[in-house]
Amino acid sequence: MSWLMKSLLGPGVWGVCFSAVYGLHGLGCARGWSDLTIAPSSVHHFAMLGTWLAGIGACALLVIVLPRGGGMQNQLPRAGAWIGLGAVVFTLFPILVASSC
Amino acid sequence: MTAPDKGFTLSPNPPQHALHLHRELNRVWANDRGWWGQITAVNHTTLGLRFMATALVFFAIGGVLAMMLRAQLATPAGVFLDTELYNQIFTMHGSIMMFLFAIPMLEGLGIWLLPKILGTRDMAFPRLTALGYWCYLFGGLIMLTALLFGVAPRDGWFMYTPLSGATHSPGINADIWLLGVTFVEISALAAAIEITVTILRQRPPGMTLTRMPLFAWYMLGTSVMMLVGFPPLILGSVLLEVERAFNWPFFEVARGGDPLLWQHLFWLFGHPEVYIIFLPAAGAISTIIPVMCRTQIVGYGAIVAAILALVFLSFGLWVHHMFTVGIPHMALAFFSAASALVAVPTAVQIFAWIGTMWRGQPQMHLPMLHIMGFFLTFVMGGLTGVMLAIVPFNWQAHDTAFVTAHLHYVLIGGFVFPMMAAASYWMPLISGRGRIKGLGEAAFWVILLGFHGTFFVMHLTGLVGMPRRIDTYPDNPEWIWLNLTSSIFSFVLTIGFALFAIDMVLQALLGPRTPRDPWKGQTLDWAMMRPTPSYTFASLSTRPLTPGQPAGEVALRLARGEGLLPGAPRGRREFLVTEIGTGRPDHVAILPGNTALPLAMSAMIGGFVLLMLAGLYILTPLALAGVGVLIWRWGRSLTTPHDHPPVSIAPELSLPVHHHSRATLVQSGIVCLLVANGTLFASLLFGLGFLTVVAPNWPAPLPLRGGMTEAILTVAAVGALALGSLAVRLRIGVVPAITGLAVNLLALALVATLAAMALHDPTNHARDALRAVLTGYAGLHVLMSAGFAGFVWQMALRGELSPNRPGVVANWRLVQDYTTVTAAIVALVVIWQGIAG
Repeated sequence: MSWLMKSLLGPGVWGVCFSAVYGLHGLGCARGWSDLTIAPSSVHHFAMLGTWLAGIGACALLVIVLPRGGGMQNQLPRAGAWIGLGAVVFTLFPILVASSC
Repeated sequence: MTAPDKGFTLSPNPPQHALHLHRELNRVWANDRGWWGQITAVNHTTLGLRFMATALVFFAIGGVLAMMLRAQLATPAGVFLDTELYNQIFTMHGSIMMFLFAIPMLEGLGIWLLPKILGTRDMAFPRLTALGYWCYLFGGLIMLTALLFGVAPRDGWFMYTPLSGATHSPGINADIWLLGVTFVEISALAAAIEITVTILRQRPPGMTLTRMPLFAWYMLGTSVMMLVGFPPLILGSVLLEVERAFNWPFFEVARGGDPLLWQHLFWLFGHPEVYIIFLPAAGAISTIIPVMCRTQIVGYGAIVAAILALVFLSFGLWVHHMFTVGIPHMALAFFSAASALVAVPTAVQIFAWIGTMWRGQPQMHLPMLHIMGFFLTFVMGGLTGVMLAIVPFNWQAHDTAFVTAHLHYVLIGGFVFPMMAAASYWMPLISGRGRIKGLGEAAFWVILLGFHGTFFVMHLTGLVGMPRRIDTYPDNPEWIWLNLTSSIFSFVLTIGFALFAIDMVLQALLGPRTPRDPWKGQTLDWAMMRPTPSYTFASLSTRPLTPGQPAGEVALRLARGEGLLPGAPRGRREFLVTEIGTGRPDHVAILPGNTALPLAMSAMIGGFVLLMLAGLYILTPLALAGVGVLIWRWGRSLTTPHDHPPVSIAPELSLPVHHHSRATLVQSGIVCLLVANGTLFASLLFGLGFLTVVAPNWPAPLPLRGGMTEAILTVAAVGALALGSLAVRLRIGVVPAITGLAVNLLALALVATLAAMALHDPTNHARDALRAVLTGYAGLHVLMSAGFAGFVWQMALRGELSPNRPGVVANWRLVQDYTTVTAAIVALVVIWQGIAG
């Protein structure tokens, strides 16, 4: 995979995860998924939570597997992975604290 | 593409007589003489300056409109403008400043500067540059003419539906905006494509991406954002225009539409737009500060990472413009968090610039003064932006003068101040003359005072409750002194801008001649003659500058032809194309010469726009056919009937010309175009999903027609296109070309049959309208693929196809595959709708 693509991976995972969670949120609210309860929450909440955790996992994996050191050639893809991880965690943490719909 | 950071150098050519080289190159690269030369010019220096000069004229017009607004608001019951005219003027002020000043200005800066800073001779697609300029000019003139005739848009620069719909906005006012802005956006997309390709493919040998000047990184981020950011607005504008012109309901609630779809599509463009405007300005700042501080930039890598973060995060903020429309709390929280987070990469850049100044020895020349103005203003705008990202505050301040103040702090702070710094920094390169001391400094202080006097107070006006876009406020005496203060200082601001313009004109006409590289710049643009020649460099740099190396050190060497590709011995416009990641030399591109084709093409597109505005829809296919013919001619001029020998670029290296390369600039351009096109398609699917899930009055009352027949026709059409994708992979020749043409025409016939048999009247319901749009999208792309196949067939018949000239078939393959994939997605949607009802 090219260097430029590697650098875009982390933010790209955030983009996919953010879009997926926002889409699930809209779909779930419209289709009444929040009324389908699975203790201690709802199908809607768990769907979003699962997507969020998958996004975190994907970015964390990138942080682990992308090589360290070696100047900017390695640093930028790793920085991209950290950007993705930080953005996934921070922008989607409302899943934990806010009501769904 | 392989890993970067493997720099290498090439041996230089032997020195030649510099004046001889200059004359030889000038004969090949210069514009034609006289007025005809102005019409046929495709040179980036001419067109970049023309873009910027035209943008400044529009800025002045937008400024005059702002003065009229402030004159009206200076008193609570002003009678300077009536309500209708006030509405037109505030709409045109915003639209002009956004679409006719800011974006073209950044395009102009990129077009003018990038080839120079990258050490190449022109942009990747000079004729596209010219087409973009003419589309911009004609689109802008259509909008201005509408203002003169009293039929300008009047629904605000974001044209919210249903206010801008046919019911509430009869007449052609809204159509002027929708068609005029879309016309201008052709220019933005053209610029985005060529900027992206130029940066990725035209760097000097050994200039890997990690050694690229920061300005190029910023412009790369900007151009990619433009490729992805503009298509949602283009789609929204097309859908709204179709709704207004043909009564297809996309935004009308009663028939399954939703006004919020417009807001989503608009702000999917609108918020990234802020960063599209800011990034080039930040690129100028990152270039100027190290030079003015006699040091190198601090945190190059951190700034590149911040650009990366901004490019992505800025697409996750758009809903913060819609916090008051009734979105569930969790979604509000997502976008509130993203809006706050985006301040982090912005702050990284601010701290890197402060660190650079801290490490260096700042010299308060005029560009630096404007950068200080930027810091003060933009940081304040950023902080009020964080305030607006917080949902409860946003609910209070939404649509008040506070937001107006915030956006002016961000846009004037983040774009106008840096652009003034850039103008005063690069003016010696543009005019070859230095400044007349004193006037520029006076202009700066007057602008700073006028700006903050106008807009700081406006925050308070908003906080005490004044809404945006009202023309009188007779019942609110508490707003009087605030508005009067803003109005008085706005005239001070205008005087400041006038002084700035006078300073620039005086410098260009009367300033003292400057030496080469007066600032001791660290980028290749300063290694040229002043004013810059049409060909930029007599020979191309063999390697990037080392960090901190003054560009003047290599100037003489390049002027004497000791770089690559010296002169123009073959009488052609040639430059070097390199690989994306490594910057290794790949081939030599031969550019087309001066031509009026871009003007003819934009005139034909303008004809289409005018026919739409006049309601002569029946005649519009003629204009579109004309565009098709001109595209064909455009493509024909790229073909060649015979092979070309390799070109020696350095003593030990000869390279093929682009006809014999597969990875041509055109191919890179088509990839960029398909990225933009794919974003438009994805936005269309988003629209379908949004209306299906969220809009009231769904499902549609009429069940779908067609059933099994529809499914069979759909699958057959996709199957035919798949055959086309297969044909383009066969050996180059007549048979694959004619096969490709035949299967595309078959697919087109099937799509037409499908449309006739299975589609309901699109005016019934948003579902039917969207199905028609999706089918039309697929049909249009099948037509394009058929056209490409026909073009290749004609080449084969003329003997212009050869395995040694693989570019055109590779390009057809890209377009054909895109058509097949998108048509398959449309087919799935159509079949799924048939199943789900």
